[in-house]
Amino acid sequence: MSPKAVLPLTMLPPGRPARIVEVRAGRHLKDRLAGLGLLPGNTVQVLRDNGGPLLLAVGETRLALGRGMAHKILVTETAPQGESTR
Amino acid sequence: MTASRRLRVALAGNPNAGKSTVFNALTGAHQHVGNWPGKTVEKKEGFYRYRDLVVEIVDLPGTYSLSAYSPEERIAQEFITEEHPDVVVNVVDASNLERNLYLTAQLLEIGAPMIIVLNMADVAEQLGYKIDVGRFAQLVGVPVLTAVASKEIGIEALREQIHHAAEAPEFHTPPPDVLQYDHELEKAVRHLTEALGTLSDLQGYRPRWLAVKLIEGDKQARRVVRNAPGGEAVLTTVLPKVMRKLQRVYGEDVDIALADARYAFVRGLARQVLTLPKHPPRTLSDRIDQIVTNRWLGIPLFLFFMYVMFSLVQNVSAPFMDWIDSIISGPVTTWTLAGLLALHAPPWLISLIVDGAIAGVGSVLTFIPSLMVMFFALAFMEDSGYLARAAFVMDKAMAFLGLNGRAFIPMILGFGCNVPAVYATRTIENRAARVLTGLLIPFMSCSARLPVYVVFGMAFFGKDAGLVVWSLYLVGIVVAAIAGWVLSKVVFTEVHKSVFVLELPRYRLPTWQGLWLHTWEHTSEFIRKAGTVILGIAILLWFLLNLPWGVQNPGESYFGKVSHALAPIYEPAGFGTWQAAGALISGFVAKEVVISTMSQIYIGEQEAKHLQEPPVLQPWEDAKAIVVGFGEATWKATQALLDSLTPGIRLFPTASGDEGNQTELSRALHKAFTPLSALAFLVYVLLYTPCMATVAAQAQEYGWQWALFSVGLGLTTAWLLATAVFQVGRLLGVG
Repeated sequence: MSPKAVLPLTMLPPGRPARIVEVRAGRHLKDRLAGLGLLPGNTVQVLRDNGGPLLLAVGETRLALGRGMAHKILVTETAPQGESTR
Repeated sequence: MTASRRLRVALAGNPNAGKSTVFNALTGAHQHVGNWPGKTVEKKEGFYRYRDLVVEIVDLPGTYSLSAYSPEERIAQEFITEEHPDVVVNVVDASNLERNLYLTAQLLEIGAPMIIVLNMADVAEQLGYKIDVGRFAQLVGVPVLTAVASKEIGIEALREQIHHAAEAPEFHTPPPDVLQYDHELEKAVRHLTEALGTLSDLQGYRPRWLAVKLIEGDKQARRVVRNAPGGEAVLTTVLPKVMRKLQRVYGEDVDIALADARYAFVRGLARQVLTLPKHPPRTLSDRIDQIVTNRWLGIPLFLFFMYVMFSLVQNVSAPFMDWIDSIISGPVTTWTLAGLLALHAPPWLISLIVDGAIAGVGSVLTFIPSLMVMFFALAFMEDSGYLARAAFVMDKAMAFLGLNGRAFIPMILGFGCNVPAVYATRTIENRAARVLTGLLIPFMSCSARLPVYVVFGMAFFGKDAGLVVWSLYLVGIVVAAIAGWVLSKVVFTEVHKSVFVLELPRYRLPTWQGLWLHTWEHTSEFIRKAGTVILGIAILLWFLLNLPWGVQNPGESYFGKVSHALAPIYEPAGFGTWQAAGALISGFVAKEVVISTMSQIYIGEQEAKHLQEPPVLQPWEDAKAIVVGFGEATWKATQALLDSLTPGIRLFPTASGDEGNQTELSRALHKAFTPLSALAFLVYVLLYTPCMATVAAQAQEYGWQWALFSVGLGLTTAWLLATAVFQVGRLLGVG
């Protein structure tokens, strides 16, 4: 398994599953995002990117996330075949 | 055994997990909505009887976690730990297990007796999810039930289980170490737990929970430990040592390490109890989102839904508004008048009650149909899940105002009525963004301003009236955009820091019960709060119009004198007459009364209405008129409903039944206004303070200083723009 590139969520092509590596935010916001499933280790997918907020799938949850925040979430693409690693 | 026992149950769960559906299913109509002490967070309580028990249910605010940062989370955590409910019912969305279990993990740690309800089990089943309920209960150590609250499935079993929890709380209490942390953290938690375990009085708190919360830096836990004898020593010696050790391993983010550990527990739990289908189907919800959030279709679809909503509010409620109006100006007035005359009430008292109180209350009551239709439409959009998509779609446009997508919904509601729109800002988390939205709402032209536009439009602009009305709505939007842009740059600089994150819940068909309860809750709130304000002002206005005693001409009353005094202010805007100023003063109370005040002042027809001879009472005819009137209103509303749902197609041609009694006022207006000054007047009516009820709502939601700021903002903008219209128009030689 070769190490994959780490990129901000805003750069992740829609439809590709990725694992969250880091959430860059203050304690308060980190906790809030963790409650919604946005924390390191979880798998995330961009469902739609219209240039505004992103529409995300985190497990069964669908989230709208502002671009500014999405830029501070770092992810790494996971192999598409091992999809449901949960 | 006659005396029934009381049992207190707290409902906890994520937003959108169907918590309020469970609450409604359990309590039915026995519920009460208030606020948590000192907070604007809604508190819902209800009760039901079951065998020998009276079960009180407290619906805790929906939260994703219990990190105690937001007021909602703090309320939920403090209620469970301090008020010691007999049972905590954790409502979990079975179709979104993993995310929901994060809160469950935190609830299990608290250690209160608990029942887990896997709600929306039908949705989970449709998606092909299999949940091993027995294994689940075994792993968490508390009973687990499945339910479909919207169909009342599993509710009886839940009642039974709650009853059982009252008998045997020990079977419902999670074991203390159900959630294990990883190596270093677990060692630290155990070490602290032991130290806390030696303390004598922890007020029923579980030492392990306190240990975890102390590591998290939770203020409530510190307070509890400090109050226990010997607790101070634990805080000053043991805790810092433990924290130093943890920080060496985890850095500053110890609480994130705790969150990670909880999530690891949640993932492990989900893996053991949940079987996913081999090929997860593309859900209907995702397919709808493909269309609804589409880059090109999203906004047009949203505008279309808004159009349908407005035509519903306008057309469906109009017949009922006429019906209520006819009852109040008809039977209610005549019967009150007859009663007062029979009691030999003095004429001034009769006038106070009939012209003041009844007319004032009437103006509130006629609002109710349109408010109910709007609240219903809004509840439908919210409960179905569409409202969150609308926020997503509109986020980019709102960024210009320094606001995010969440602010869009209240603004749109403002076109119907500003009062519920102000209350709707509660869904915006960031306070600065909430207040800013609340300040911009009054520029959205509410439906009460429309009659003023129509009367003036017909009097002065003939067939261009429609264009004038349309431009006024547009001016309101442009002014709101400019004001929002300026305020977000100057006053509310911190709105830009607000992070937009919003769950888009799975689409679902709202239940009738849920919609009705929503609608009624908000409507009754309006009647209570706004009703009292408008009644008070209506009576005050009556006194001002009738004092000093025996005044014949409204121009000589106190009201007239105040209007005279204010009139010069409006000279530069072209309508510096006392009559116009007077109409604007009463319009400050409510825009509906602008036209009626004008006809009172200009036509002066108000006297001679109720003289000494008693009115003819026709109880049978009146009762018949009320019932028949309701039937007719329902029929007209049904036609309007069908028309609204088929845009562009008129199924039922509307009879143009304008009574034409406007003509007298129209003639009077022509003497007082030129087309240019009329336009300036309309711009003023559009932009100044919408009504007292809006100000009261703003004061309630944001505090008096912001309510007054909003009044100042409205009055200034309105004057400046009205003056600009008049002066520029004069320079161009129009008018």
